[in-house]
Amino acid sequence: MGALESVAALGAALLVVGTMGSLARPFASVAIALQAAGIALAGAAGAAVFLGTAPRGAGFRDGLDPAFGIDGLSGFFLATIALVALPSLLYGRKYLRGGPGEGWSIALGGLFLLSLGGVVTARDPSIFLASWELMTIAPAAAILVRRRDAEARHVVFVYLAITHLGGAGVWISLLTLAKCGALADPGALAGQGAAVQTLVLVAALVGFGTKAGLAPLHTWLPRAHPVAPSHFSALMSGVMVKVAIYGLIRVLFEWAAPVPLWVGMTLLAVGLLSALSAVLLALVQRDLKRLLAFSTIENVGIVALALGASLVFLWQGDRTWAALAFAAALLHALNHALFKSLLFLAAGSFERAAGSLDLDRLGGLLRRMPWTGGAFLLGAAAIAGVPPLNGFVSEWLTVQALVHVGFGPALGTGLAGGIAAAGLAATAALALYCFVKAAGLALLGEPRTPAAARAVEPGPAMRLAPVLLAAACVALAAVSGLLLPALAKLAPGSPAVAGHPSLELPGTGSLPSPWLLVGIAVLTAVAWRLRGGRRAAPVPAWACGQRIEPSLRWTSAGFAKPLVLVAQSVLRPAREVEVARAGALVEGVEYRAEVPHLFDVHLYRPLRARALALAATMRRLQSGSVRAYAAYLLLMVLALLVLVRVGALG
Amino acid sequence: MTVAAALIQVLGGALLAPLVPGLVHSLKARLQGRRGASPLQPYRDLRRLWGKSGADPQPTTIVYRLAPCLIAAATALAVLIVPIAGQAPDWSLGNDALVLVGLLALGRFALAASSWDTGSGFALMASGRDLTFAVLGEALLLLALLIAAYPARSTDLVAMGAAAAGAAPWGEPAHWCGAAAFALVVLVETGRQPIDNPDTHLELTMIHEGPLLEYAGRDLALLEWSAAARHWLVLVLAAELFAPHWGGFWEQLGWLALALAGLCAALALTETAQAKMRVLRVPGLLAGGCALALVGLASALVGGLV
Repeated sequence: MGALESVAALGAALLVVGTMGSLARPFASVAIALQAAGIALAGAAGAAVFLGTAPRGAGFRDGLDPAFGIDGLSGFFLATIALVALPSLLYGRKYLRGGPGEGWSIALGGLFLLSLGGVVTARDPSIFLASWELMTIAPAAAILVRRRDAEARHVVFVYLAITHLGGAGVWISLLTLAKCGALADPGALAGQGAAVQTLVLVAALVGFGTKAGLAPLHTWLPRAHPVAPSHFSALMSGVMVKVAIYGLIRVLFEWAAPVPLWVGMTLLAVGLLSALSAVLLALVQRDLKRLLAFSTIENVGIVALALGASLVFLWQGDRTWAALAFAAALLHALNHALFKSLLFLAAGSFERAAGSLDLDRLGGLLRRMPWTGGAFLLGAAAIAGVPPLNGFVSEWLTVQALVHVGFGPALGTGLAGGIAAAGLAATAALALYCFVKAAGLALLGEPRTPAAARAVEPGPAMRLAPVLLAAACVALAAVSGLLLPALAKLAPGSPAVAGHPSLELPGTGSLPSPWLLVGIAVLTAVAWRLRGGRRAAPVPAWACGQRIEPSLRWTSAGFAKPLVLVAQSVLRPAREVEVARAGALVEGVEYRAEVPHLFDVHLYRPLRARALALAATMRRLQSGSVRAYAAYLLLMVLALLVLVRVGALG
Repeated sequence: MTVAAALIQVLGGALLAPLVPGLVHSLKARLQGRRGASPLQPYRDLRRLWGKSGADPQPTTIVYRLAPCLIAAATALAVLIVPIAGQAPDWSLGNDALVLVGLLALGRFALAASSWDTGSGFALMASGRDLTFAVLGEALLLLALLIAAYPARSTDLVAMGAAAAGAAPWGEPAHWCGAAAFALVVLVETGRQPIDNPDTHLELTMIHEGPLLEYAGRDLALLEWSAAARHWLVLVLAAELFAPHWGGFWEQLGWLALALAGLCAALALTETAQAKMRVLRVPGLLAGGCALALVGLASALVGGLV
């Protein structure tokens, strides 16, 4: 056993000890420290394999005897898990202290990390599927440990129902692949005919797509992520959906490769649908964590777009751009993991400090909480995809990939690339709109409630976690050019892409992200100096001569109104105005407006109604009469006899 | 030649830029039968603003004070990315068209954040509209750039400009579609009629002027300069990607000057002939532009534009 394997095994062992130890209340801090050390070691081993060359541990096998191993792709995801998990654990220690079910929450956190690591390091179907199921159940348990109210129970039910139904796809695809021997020997599937391959691909798209939160299978995500404890939301949005992406990559790029063109085109379509619909819905949310959850779907959509572009390039035989698009997907997954966990952690602090997550009840928090607020502002800029931050780098790479799909040569793929590129540009503009709104309402202007006016920074640990993540966002923007060759190497055929800090790629004008970072900083400083310190007396903001009263303040709905009006035919906003009159006197006006989640209304509600109706019909079978059950048995035996007679059972 | 291009980039971007809106305004006044201000008026405004002290609306944070500097910095970087007459001096910033789109977005982010900081209703109303237009505006800009990048198969602005040179592109329907789409982009990015009225003094109808309401003194001067530099930027881009140009550097420079003058005249003409559109009808116009650009892309893909 080499040194790296030992490090990874030690990490896993520490994680196990930390998970079990957390149930003994006095040792909670020690347990969390052990968990952190464990995941840090595992992540370091992963990063070493990702940046180095040779895979460690076992290779993939089709049998059911447990095996673990790390190759480049696993290493990348393991490192991503560690990067998000460390600040989350740091934050979670203080966040959970004294709350309900503290020990259980910590234990479930450790279990969750173990299962995430298990999925990406599993080398046989049994470990993979076991970790996969554990990964689904752990967050559900973590939600229920801290909240027992009807809403939380309902959310957990929906989450488990949808992810388990979708999860069947993972089982089908993985077990079929194992049966064909395609896990150990990629390419074995090609010999099984198109029908089996289609089955595997569709099952994988549905199974992993559900867990990744790709539309239209995403409806559990904006419900489940907001009710989880904040550091758990950070892990769920930051890492869990990425682990689903990992599974999708394994199937599409490795086990079932080479895939037909329709898979790439489907991913482009699904990615665009997810990105655009989710960011539109994110924009109209008032609840900060719900907004962040919708934005997770959007970002998974962007990752899917990049993966789809990569598959189209592979089909066209353009290995270099296939690798670049693949790298774009991984880079965006990493970037999103960082800034989304930052935003979730900061949102948790806002909730603690101001007592609400309703954007219209926060305000002015940047002055009250400069560290958390500053980190949130930076994260908002990063996720909005403005240069020179890391979100821009990966979105730029993705758009470049789509633009190069748009160059053709075939009309179909070319137009698809053009439409996807334009859609992604619109998505980026909408994300900017959405996160300017979120940051503006939460951080800037006057406090909107007395509680927000009294908000104070949380303790050093909860303050440090988002700041660390913000620093990682800036650092990653500067080094993504150097990371690119290692990412591109993981693509099929591993073509060599030269590492260059300025991302000098063929067919682009290059994105010198470090120089943009320096350039913007220097020029802003120059402008700041030129501007000087001369200021007049403080004045109130201009509102046509009157003061801006609290009731005149701009709200979340008000800011998004122009877009809601423009997209009225798609969003179908509902509005209710009730005027209470006493004679001719208006005594009160009540105004309610909401934008429904149309996937729920038009897809899931009818589906649920059908399912319930079907269940009601099936219930007639369960009459409770012993004679009826005896008759069923008789019928069953008869049917089996007939089948045997016909020879259908061999 | 590269040195000359660098000089024009820096001096043109910094010093000539205010002349562009000035020229449009004075031409527009002439077309409307007024004498109007001289084309040099923006320079006088900038000098006046530079001498004044800034306003300090309450309550604001560093975001409000930093925004004008950040916007000016992003615009200046964008100016340095656009090559002049096919020559790109090496600022080690690259010449990528999509980076340019990002830098413009950074300016929009900073301005909208500053509107939230003052909490002024007019500023927020205007930025909400601006961001709404930007949704389809960015899609349109991307499609127009995609068409311009198609012949070179590269988003490098130097290669794109070189591919648009000569008479050949004018035989392609895609080029015409791209030019029409980019014309709309110019109107959106510069905030000109029929999208926005830069001369308005009514807060309720302001879009690009709205978020500037609170600023004064040097802050406002930086913002006004950035707006002028954005005019310069998109017009130079329009001239290099979609206007006719031939020959070497100096000839192309002549064509560029000619195209800029022509574009200013065209802007003045549309401003005179067109009234401002209803806010909610603008996205329809932009969506039409997107459709046109997609038709252009399809024709390029079918025709195998070289």
